Amino acid sequence: MAHTSLLRVLLLSLAVGVQALTPSHYLSRSDVARLQTFLGQHFTDLESAYYSVVGLAKLGASVEDQAEACQFLKSQLDPTSVDSLFYAAVASQDLPGCEIPLSNETRDILLAAVSEDSTVAQIHHAVGALTALGLPLASQEVVAALRARINKEENVVAVTLALQTAARLSQQAELSGFVEEIEDLTARLDDLGGLYLQFEEGLEATADFVVAAYALSDHVDVEPPLKEDQVIQLVNSIFSKKSWDSLSEAFSVAGAAVALSSNRFHVPVVVRAQGPATVSHSQPTLQLLVTDVLSQPLASASVLVESANALATKSVILSQTPFTHRDGVFELNFMSSQPASGYYQFTVAVTGDSRLVANQVELKVKVSTEVAITNMDLSIVDKDQSIGTKTTRVEYPSKSKASFMADSHQNFAMAFQLVDVNTGVELTPHQIFVRLHNQKTGQEVVFVAEPDSKNLYKFELDMAERKSEFDSMSGTYSLHLMVGDATLENPILWNVADVVLKFMDDEAPAVILPKALYVPKPEIQHLFREPEKKPPTVVSNTFTALILSPFLLLLILWIKLGANISNFSMSPSAVLFHIGHAAMLGLMYVYWTHLNMFQTLKYLAIIGTLTFLAGNRMLAQKAVKRIAAEQSSRLAKYRSLR
Amino acid sequence: MSNSVVSVVSRFLEEYRTSTPTRLKVVDAYLLYVLLTGALQFLYCLLVGTFPFNSFLSGFISCVGSFILAVCLRIQINPQNKGEFQSVSPERAFADFLFAHTVLHLVVMNFIG
Repeated sequence: MAHTSLLRVLLLSLAVGVQALTPSHYLSRSDVARLQTFLGQHFTDLESAYYSVVGLAKLGASVEDQAEACQFLKSQLDPTSVDSLFYAAVASQDLPGCEIPLSNETRDILLAAVSEDSTVAQIHHAVGALTALGLPLASQEVVAALRARINKEENVVAVTLALQTAARLSQQAELSGFVEEIEDLTARLDDLGGLYLQFEEGLEATADFVVAAYALSDHVDVEPPLKEDQVIQLVNSIFSKKSWDSLSEAFSVAGAAVALSSNRFHVPVVVRAQGPATVSHSQPTLQLLVTDVLSQPLASASVLVESANALATKSVILSQTPFTHRDGVFELNFMSSQPASGYYQFTVAVTGDSRLVANQVELKVKVSTEVAITNMDLSIVDKDQSIGTKTTRVEYPSKSKASFMADSHQNFAMAFQLVDVNTGVELTPHQIFVRLHNQKTGQEVVFVAEPDSKNLYKFELDMAERKSEFDSMSGTYSLHLMVGDATLENPILWNVADVVLKFMDDEAPAVILPKALYVPKPEIQHLFREPEKKPPTVVSNTFTALILSPFLLLLILWIKLGANISNFSMSPSAVLFHIGHAAMLGLMYVYWTHLNMFQTLKYLAIIGTLTFLAGNRMLAQKAVKRIAAEQSSRLAKYRSLR
Repeated sequence: MSNSVVSVVSRFLEEYRTSTPTRLKVVDAYLLYVLLTGALQFLYCLLVGTFPFNSFLSGFISCVGSFILAVCLRIQINPQNKGEFQSVSPERAFADFLFAHTVLHLVVMNFIG
């Protein structure tokens, strides 16, 4: 339950947040000029000549020397090549008085190319050449051939060429199938962030698709199956690239621009402010340019402000107000509705033509104004009120002639108002700073002045409290007032007065030697753990004796028990064994005092081996003796039993 | 009550004196010595302080280790346990005891600091 309501809120906020999509890219006048220059470059072969001549013709221009261009076409023409014939024939159409020589053979070659065995590109070229040369052709055959080829070549470029070919055929032919292909191709467009729509084959394929779609739609007089948002996204992706890689790409972009500005169904509208979208009392009219994607003004359009809201308060200032049209510019005197300074959201509707797409536009308009400072009062207030307060009024922009003195028993106070020069309304700009600048040391201290509920700005400097911010530096400070805001046309920096500040304890501030910063820091010494206090020697000695005492006890006990040392044999192995053992004990002591583990292990290995061998021998002898004794005693027992 | 305790203890001592082989008594004396040494070290630690701690530890570990090794030796050379240690002759047990001591004291010396 809570889940669904949350979802609903989310959807609602999304719906509010999403603005109507408007074209963010188009060809400005300078872009169109650049495109014409790019297309007008010197051509080197028949194909580039075709792009130049036809592209420029689409944009309403022409190549510089038409006769030379015609001559070039004729000289380059290869009458046996379908492609060559297409380029020459179509280009010659846009060159007045340029006739391409024609023979029966040429005609046969072109007609033969219209078959299921040719590629779509060849069919397109053959049909284009035939129509350009004014030769008859059987439209239904072309349709059949194209249909067969589309099923084989399913790529975007081939289908687009098929659509372009279909647009040249007779309207009586079966062309409805091709209109459906437009929808299929639209489904194959990639959406980039909801802002761009394009084929992954590139800009040229996308632009060619737009050309083909509108050419065919115009030809059969059926609205192309493109939604308004899709048209705008296509506009964005085709015109976002402002420098073109090749002639063919520029040719396609020019074709798409023409198709999008002069077709029978969709004409995207580009609405923008002329200059910055700012109005003020000196420039009270908001001027809008309403054009198609080629920056040609839409003269038949009428422009209406549906609503204008203040961004800060959301209050409606203006609604259903038309712009007046003058010289291709739509104007509205916004200041006549007396808006307060700030930002406004305009919703503008463009009407007058049913073809218009993106005709609801949102604009952000700034209303700027000029500020004036009034009632600037400076005073020195005594803290214990013993002396009456003396107030001095200063007029902007002059500097106060009187100098002010404040010591630590006084406060320095400042009060002023900010008003709109044009309307007299009180203003509260974003940035109001009071700056105190020490004339001798150059040190500056900046405070913020805050307005009270009546929009009266007050600033009070408590000399005792603010001492630290001035480093207790007494001296003459120049007092500046700074006023700024994005909607102010005249930001202010005003040197109001000079103030002498005297701080009580006039101690010299701690002088920091900059040199000291670059001196090496004292070396860090490793600190070993402090040994704990040792107990008195008497205690430790006593305990040493105590701990050794059980050894005495051991000796006493052993003697008492009568450990028989007599059993100790003086055989060499026994002697060696005992010496080895003693040596090991000695080695342990030396290890403690002198050696490290590796040395110790080396010596221990030597002594240990010897001791082991000797011990082994000695203990074996003992064992032999013991077993013999046991056997003899058993024997004796056995004998006695008998 | 105390009488019976005294009688039990005296009986126990009597038994011990008569029935325990001298060899085991020697080992028992050694055990007592090690025990007392360890106890005294611990007493020092309680009364004076643990500093230096590693020395105390090594001394104490030496006592504990020696005690355990001696107990093992005593178990192995006890004639009553002969059936359990068929393959371990008293000489072999003694050699093991010495070897283990060497290793133990190598560690102890390493630790003493």
